[in-house]
Amino acid sequence: MAKRLAIDIGGTFTDLVVLDEGTGEVLLEKDHTTPENFARGVIKTIEKSGLDPGEINQFVHGTTVVINAITERKGAKTALITTKGFRDVLEIQRANRPDMYNLFYRKPRPFVPRRYRFEVTERLNYKGEVLQELDEEEVREAIEKCKEAGIESIAVCFIHSYANPAHERRVKELIEELYPEAQVTLSHEIIQEWREYERTNTAVLNAYVKPATVRYLRSLEEDLQRLGLTSVKYAMQSNGGTTTFAQAQAVPIHLVESGPIGGVIGAIMIGRAINEENIIAFDMGGTTAKVSLIEHGRLQIKTDYHIEKTATFAGYPVKIPVVDIVEVGAGGGSIGWIDKGGALNVGPQSAGADPGPACYGRGGTEPTVTDANLLAGRLNPDYFLGGEVKLEVKRAEEAMEKIARYFGIETVRAAHGIIRVANANMRGALERVSIERGYDPRDFTMIAYGGAGGLHAPLLARELNLKKVVIPRAPGQFSAWGMLMTDLRHDFIRTQVMPCNEASLERMNRIFAEMSQEALRQFAAEGVSPEAIVLERLMDMRYRGQEHTVRTPVNVERLSATDLAVVQERFHTLHDQAYSFRLADPIEVVNFHLVAWGRVEKPELKRLSTDGRELARAFKGEREVDFDEQGALKSKIYERDLLPVGAEIAGPAVIEEPACTTIVYPGQGLRVDEYGNLVITEVE
Amino acid sequence: MMAITKVDPFTVEVIKRALISAAEQMFVALGRTSKSSVIYEVLDYGCAITDERGRMIAQANGVPGFIGVLTDAVTETLRKFGKEGLYEGDTIIINDPYMGGATHQNDVVLVMPIFYRGQLIMFTASKAHWNDVGGKDPGSWSADATEIYQEGIQFPAVKLYERGQEVRDIVEILERNVRTPEMTLGDMRAQAASMKVAARRVQEVCDKYGLETVLQAVEACMEQGRQEALAELRALPKGEFTAEEYIDDDGLGGDPVLVKVKVTITDEEFIIDFTGSSKTCPGPINSPRSATYSACKTAYKAVVGPHAHPNDGFFSPLKVIIPEDTIFNPKRPAPVSTYWESMSYATDLVWKALAEAVPDRITAGHFLSVCATNVSGISDETGEQFIFAEPNAGGWGAGEGKDGENGLVCSGDGDTYVLSIEVAETRYPIIVDQFALNTSGAGHGKYRGGFGLVKDYRAANSKILVTGSFGRSKFPAWGINGGMDGTPNYMVLIPKGGRPKRFSRISVRPLKRDDVVRFISGSGGGYGNPKERDPELVLNDVLDGYITLKEAREIYGVAIDPKKMTIKEAETRRLRGG
Repeated sequence: MAKRLAIDIGGTFTDLVVLDEGTGEVLLEKDHTTPENFARGVIKTIEKSGLDPGEINQFVHGTTVVINAITERKGAKTALITTKGFRDVLEIQRANRPDMYNLFYRKPRPFVPRRYRFEVTERLNYKGEVLQELDEEEVREAIEKCKEAGIESIAVCFIHSYANPAHERRVKELIEELYPEAQVTLSHEIIQEWREYERTNTAVLNAYVKPATVRYLRSLEEDLQRLGLTSVKYAMQSNGGTTTFAQAQAVPIHLVESGPIGGVIGAIMIGRAINEENIIAFDMGGTTAKVSLIEHGRLQIKTDYHIEKTATFAGYPVKIPVVDIVEVGAGGGSIGWIDKGGALNVGPQSAGADPGPACYGRGGTEPTVTDANLLAGRLNPDYFLGGEVKLEVKRAEEAMEKIARYFGIETVRAAHGIIRVANANMRGALERVSIERGYDPRDFTMIAYGGAGGLHAPLLARELNLKKVVIPRAPGQFSAWGMLMTDLRHDFIRTQVMPCNEASLERMNRIFAEMSQEALRQFAAEGVSPEAIVLERLMDMRYRGQEHTVRTPVNVERLSATDLAVVQERFHTLHDQAYSFRLADPIEVVNFHLVAWGRVEKPELKRLSTDGRELARAFKGEREVDFDEQGALKSKIYERDLLPVGAEIAGPAVIEEPACTTIVYPGQGLRVDEYGNLVITEVE
Repeated sequence: MMAITKVDPFTVEVIKRALISAAEQMFVALGRTSKSSVIYEVLDYGCAITDERGRMIAQANGVPGFIGVLTDAVTETLRKFGKEGLYEGDTIIINDPYMGGATHQNDVVLVMPIFYRGQLIMFTASKAHWNDVGGKDPGSWSADATEIYQEGIQFPAVKLYERGQEVRDIVEILERNVRTPEMTLGDMRAQAASMKVAARRVQEVCDKYGLETVLQAVEACMEQGRQEALAELRALPKGEFTAEEYIDDDGLGGDPVLVKVKVTITDEEFIIDFTGSSKTCPGPINSPRSATYSACKTAYKAVVGPHAHPNDGFFSPLKVIIPEDTIFNPKRPAPVSTYWESMSYATDLVWKALAEAVPDRITAGHFLSVCATNVSGISDETGEQFIFAEPNAGGWGAGEGKDGENGLVCSGDGDTYVLSIEVAETRYPIIVDQFALNTSGAGHGKYRGGFGLVKDYRAANSKILVTGSFGRSKFPAWGINGGMDGTPNYMVLIPKGGRPKRFSRISVRPLKRDDVVRFISGSGGGYGNPKERDPELVLNDVLDGYITLKEAREIYGVAIDPKKMTIKEAETRRLRGG
């Protein structure tokens, strides 16, 4: 029987999940990530798992190769060819100063230095009309200079190329003719939207990571082939879908957030199984917590993604669709510290995996969230990672002294200070995806995973009045599991501004039809059967005079006048929901967005077997756990892997499993559902 | 040391974050719904939440020059109406520059009291640049106004909303007095709606923690801010520090204008005194009192704690002395619509005075002026009025261990964006011929001043009107420790087939199709002797086309082989006299 394999490369571990399509059995494995050659870690993990590569009929891969090349500045030697008069756009950027009061602010350094930014004569206007023909002689000279300088990858971005790509295409032909060794990226092939800096930077970053990604995916493909894994291979993209290795090599920037998306997809699948379509996916790991909201079972996509952006750094815009994940520096390793005003802060600095929290006893001396959880009695010092790491309470206490002494309080109170501030940071992230966007948290179920998810989710859910918290099985490898459930996805976005009225109907339908053709062609090339293809149509709309838009679903293949009225009303409602007002003004359409899905068959979620599971056997004893405001309470401790379906546990309680600990607060109740999920709700 | 409070410090922290998040939500909501590019693209606005007395609790990133005045706007509102004269759902509009909280008429402040269970507990306030508020010229602000009446309609703190209802009379007067009513009213409603978003969030915080706890937490935050500022003050050098500068002219082409400052730092106070600065000017370069005060906050924060959480507790050690009837505190009805030309000097003077004393926080002078432009006309294609205002970015100063940044907005602007060329060309009938670094000279030094920009707008309409104000056209950014001064800001009009002409201020200057206006911003000042600059960095600057071979040789004393593009070591040693 066929099996599916997912491998997710993380910062510390490479996770493997195999799913047997027939039996629904899941096989888990993990091994250390091998940064010097990621492919080696992949092969090692496969070998360690003992699976038969010949049985695999589908392989999905989440990789950090793209984001690593960027953050470590280890990408290719890259050049830019652009319109005469505009080579400095990449350096000027938007000239904003987010670090408003700091005279020593340093703006983002461009990925292509000025000496490799070449200008050529050509010009289009915003309608795509040619104001000045492309000077091919200048293009040839620029290519010659690239060759002399040993440039590996060339980005091409012309002003208004989204409205007419002819000049960019011609440059590609010339590069292929004169310097075929170089990789080429044309800006319009990634996005067809206005804003020259954002588009140029996107093209440049794609060019920057292209050679490394091509090398990596080719070598991995060969290694897997050699191992006997001959199935079609997919890479996880930032847009919440997968793509073939071949397509990933053409536009590798789509893999930039390859890693964390799997968990969000997994959350949707769990939600589907338990009939919850409004979900907040909550992933708390070692260095950060990540939050993403899912409404009606749909991913939320954002198009203003930035790399390295912080409250005080402008970052680098990448104009591709990315699943809207809000990340805050609150993980198990995040460090608590006191600022100059005497306020307690947590993160974004993290003790990471090395030295790790103080209680790991590997040289860490700063108090972390994990140390705080240990001192509050929430973590079992003898059962961390199934006992692999023995936690030292004494060291945690020593580290926590710093905070306790400053405020003149006991260490356990200081520990709760850290937990509270970390929770406040995570709560901020949860509010950003929900309340701030007009969603009522009471309509949402939280699906919590990652090593620290179960420790913090129950209280956060209580504070935000979420419906309930669900801790899926194997929360540590949940992201890789989610990748197995992922469909293929391509996004097509076109900027075409027009009034949203009946006069535009024909144009609207023509644009969607053209994009649909393009999508079908691309899937055909990837061998996806037509019946597996699902197309979603969206329009970015606004009131005339506004600039920003509200993404509005279209839901029909061909728009009629009646359909259009429905879409307009939908826009008014969404605008009101997000910004608390509506206007009687005329509406405009700005972008047409087609999401093309190549559906992958998804197996039924496996129900929990009954063998050997019983509540009494799962009971491990009692210990005192400090619940902060509710005080220190004697709590029952259970082993998760022995809990049977239907088991009901009232808080205060702790559920332990090797890679995760779940806390049930007083006033909360936990039930094990038929799939083995832990479901926590407030008891009346 | 621990702040004295009845609420535990962790709850204080959590409430503080919730209030900042409320201010940020207000900011996002306005940006996403506005109708003018100066708001949605440039982000020329600021938002804050204050306590019931008007002390600022939380702000969102934006324009520091705007955020700094919001406290005054709330105080003005309270002075006029008193707490008893304000009701739930009221919103007050202020843009009279001679009242607290105002800068020029384009920058409109809205103030809304937040009620909780019938009690006025806080205020939200925001200030945004409205594209047109009437006056003599399209876009309202002008470089040659002689009276405030030419610069737009004035709202002297009146109710725009009363108990949740738009005051129709005010809105109709507004509608009739502006050139782009759809845009202006759209922005007005977006701004008012965004404040409700913040108010709702504040009320939710009170629901969760209880009003008493929230108010105590606010007090604790103020005390935290004050303690942080005092700790920083103790670490700063003490004494009196002075500086003076000249502004290009009086706003109407007269003589240069003297401005000066004395900064006194003690363990408890940071006093900025502008006594001795020029009288009120006849042209529109006067900085209203609130604007000057705000500029001082910007300067103070950069020196005392650039990354501290800004609230009025943090600002409490700041004292500002501004004599009346001066350029920094002008007398009605003097014009003020290009107030940044003096306001930015208020910040710059403080930094200049302290540059040598606080080298780890202050860099050499920057291009300083907002270099604001306003382009308007009637589109040939649509027949509609278009107006768009924007700032221009320029070069910042070098500091110890760091070159100046190339192309950032000025000190009065913050998380403010320059307009996208593709957006501008799509929305307005212009063609941009270049948008590039201005590498014609720089504030050379051991660390080099950052470069300004050059941008060409070509008219793609039978007629467009251009207004611009580019201060620091005669007196460029100052260098320090032997670093050279920067380069000037200016504009050049290049009529098709005609002779180019240089300007620093123009008002509604007509351009015909294919005439070009060139906007040029200057470099920041340098730091240290150029001859001490690392030769490798000099070579890199040549390779990147930032400086010429000639500049490398003559200014930096670095000889470079023009064929091999390598440093000629022996000759370089000789040129550097060592």
